[in-house]
Amino acid sequence: MKIMICPVNGPRPVSEFFCWGEIRPMPDPDTCSDDEWADYVFNRNGAPGVKKEWWCHSASNTWFIVERDTEKDVVLRTYLYGEAA
Amino acid sequence: MPWRLLRFALSKKHPEPRMFSDHPQLKSSYDVVIIGGGGHGLAAAYYLARDHGITNVAVLEKGYIGGGNTGRNTSIIRSNYLTPEGVKFYDESVHLWQDLSEEFDLNLFYANRGHFTLAHTDSAMRTMRWRAEVNKHLGIDSEVVGPDFVKRAAPMIDLSCGGHAPIMGALYHAPGSVARHDAVAWGYGRGADMRGAEIHQQTEVLGIDVQGGKVRGVQTSRGYIATNKVLCAVAGFTPRILDMVGIQSPIYIHPLQAMVSEPLKPWLDPILVSGSLHIYVSQSARGELVMGASLDPYEVQSTRSTLDFVEGLSSHMLDMFPFLSNVKVMRQWAGMADMTPDFAPIMGKTPVEGFYLDGGWGTWGFKATPVCGKTMAHTVATDTPHPLITGFSLDRFRNFSLTGEKGAASVGH
Amino acid sequence: MNVNAPVLLSPVHAALLARNPVWSEAGVTPPAVLGFDGNDAQRAAAVGIADLSHLPRAGAKGPGTADWLAAMGLPVPLQPNSWNQLPDGGLIARLGLTEFLVEGDASITDTLMQTDRAAGVYPVLRQDASFALCGARVNELLLQTCNVDFRTLDAEPSKLILTSMAGVGVTILYTRTFTHPCYRLWCDGTYGLYLWDTLVGIAEELGGGCIGLNALR
Repeated sequence: MKIMICPVNGPRPVSEFFCWGEIRPMPDPDTCSDDEWADYVFNRNGAPGVKKEWWCHSASNTWFIVERDTEKDVVLRTYLYGEAA
Repeated sequence: MPWRLLRFALSKKHPEPRMFSDHPQLKSSYDVVIIGGGGHGLAAAYYLARDHGITNVAVLEKGYIGGGNTGRNTSIIRSNYLTPEGVKFYDESVHLWQDLSEEFDLNLFYANRGHFTLAHTDSAMRTMRWRAEVNKHLGIDSEVVGPDFVKRAAPMIDLSCGGHAPIMGALYHAPGSVARHDAVAWGYGRGADMRGAEIHQQTEVLGIDVQGGKVRGVQTSRGYIATNKVLCAVAGFTPRILDMVGIQSPIYIHPLQAMVSEPLKPWLDPILVSGSLHIYVSQSARGELVMGASLDPYEVQSTRSTLDFVEGLSSHMLDMFPFLSNVKVMRQWAGMADMTPDFAPIMGKTPVEGFYLDGGWGTWGFKATPVCGKTMAHTVATDTPHPLITGFSLDRFRNFSLTGEKGAASVGH
Repeated sequence: MNVNAPVLLSPVHAALLARNPVWSEAGVTPPAVLGFDGNDAQRAAAVGIADLSHLPRAGAKGPGTADWLAAMGLPVPLQPNSWNQLPDGGLIARLGLTEFLVEGDASITDTLMQTDRAAGVYPVLRQDASFALCGARVNELLLQTCNVDFRTLDAEPSKLILTSMAGVGVTILYTRTFTHPCYRLWCDGTYGLYLWDTLVGIAEELGGGCIGLNALR
């Protein structure tokens, strides 16, 4: 069983969480071009690496950020939004 | 005592030729370089040689042939998809499959079993009727059947599924089949090799040389190759190869796991799929139950497998077949599925001239092997997308014109 | 019970009804189950499950909620995932950083619902199924359905845990409010019947089963 560490609820089985994908800055929809918008909507960084992702502990609805190596599936760090440093 | 086998064991020189020849050196240039020695890549090499007379071709495989998703899928072949593009494409594939054993002179154990997609809810029944109508309109043998029909085809099934997901009916697709998946790679490999293509295993692509928007060559772990045409057919490694040529894509990688049970006497003839219970299952010629579920819920670029998966899938299997409670799971594995937002592949030309993509095959690639080889060979040879794959181009995302293939495997409805 | 009056019934009302319960005295709404048969106490000693969904409760969340509740004189728990007893026997629980659940006398919950909310305070609709689990073998039941070891709550009585039980998101705490120490559990009401059936099924395998309030008190 894989364990994810929720910053509020502590270590829990990963089945209590869901992953919302990589954190991606949204371009301003009023000023960006169609291509930039399509790139934001569809394209993904699909190659392996250490990525920052949104995760949610579904039992408590706690959203937080996970730094994870997507090749080795190792969680490096978890923290609440705004605690990043 | 099979004397022929004994002869194999005693002989120093192998009395039968190998499936394909060994090439100690890479040539300095090829007309076409195919990255990925799975079913798709080898099929493309085969049809390039057979249909287009292009034989100066290298297939580069970083591991061994058929060791990726070709050997990791659950070997189901069907064409009852949802969009006209998908149905036409996969149906062509089913037709190609049916003659393949004869063409290769190799037994692929292609077995026509019939394929049921079970519906446990009213809304699933609605989707099944929709799919059946689209299928029939396009000439595919596909119909909605009731629970009695399902029970006759699979007498061991608990139609109530443990009481919480009663089966209300199913989409029945008579041509649904299974085949021995690694033999497909070997058959295409041997056919391509006989016609002059070179297969290089243990050869990893490290970089792709692009100059002025055109492919010039490929850097491999065994040296540089000059070429003007590269076909990328690497399933879960697609984003890594695309990064080498600087192409953005919507492909994201999630593992798809599968497992097999110990061998049992034949008791399950058809292929059964349930979107609600996240199961697909068939019984192989060896008697093993080959089982799959849905995608792992988050991105991982490796083929690790998890106990959570075995637990979840087993519990759903028992909902459907309670008598299996004493059957053991023999082994499990995972493949890296290159998923797309609309569950349709990405095939054809790309913004880089001479770089052709056959990717985004997610959970639906095995059944398409022959038609992919054929259409990609056409695309590479003529530098024009084959008419069957124009709906699958990479452009469709930039133009906001997605395909929406919700008939794909492990897609909930 | 006046069948014509709109009464918020327990999410597991149908399951309770099927076992011919003894209801609390007429006029008390919503009705609570006092007991089932003569063997409630026996079941409670092994593993007992009581439905406490009828208890009045109120919820609020948002960055201003802790101060707003404190201003009303409630003993606001300072740590996330902890709870405090209310003087009348109810409780106030802090679910995560800024969400609160108050359960207890209707006079308190009604006050909360009717008081003007301060800035940064948002109401949370609480239509929970809520159970109490007690008995000597209760931890065996919990271990079968959940990944968290709740025995640690014995040592940290003010802590509460948000986790997933039999696939359902639940809030769980350990309380000695009743004669029998018990675990209190809340889940979304729409999952109530499923969770109730699952837990009662396991409890019966362990020699227990459903009980009424009298066996708990």
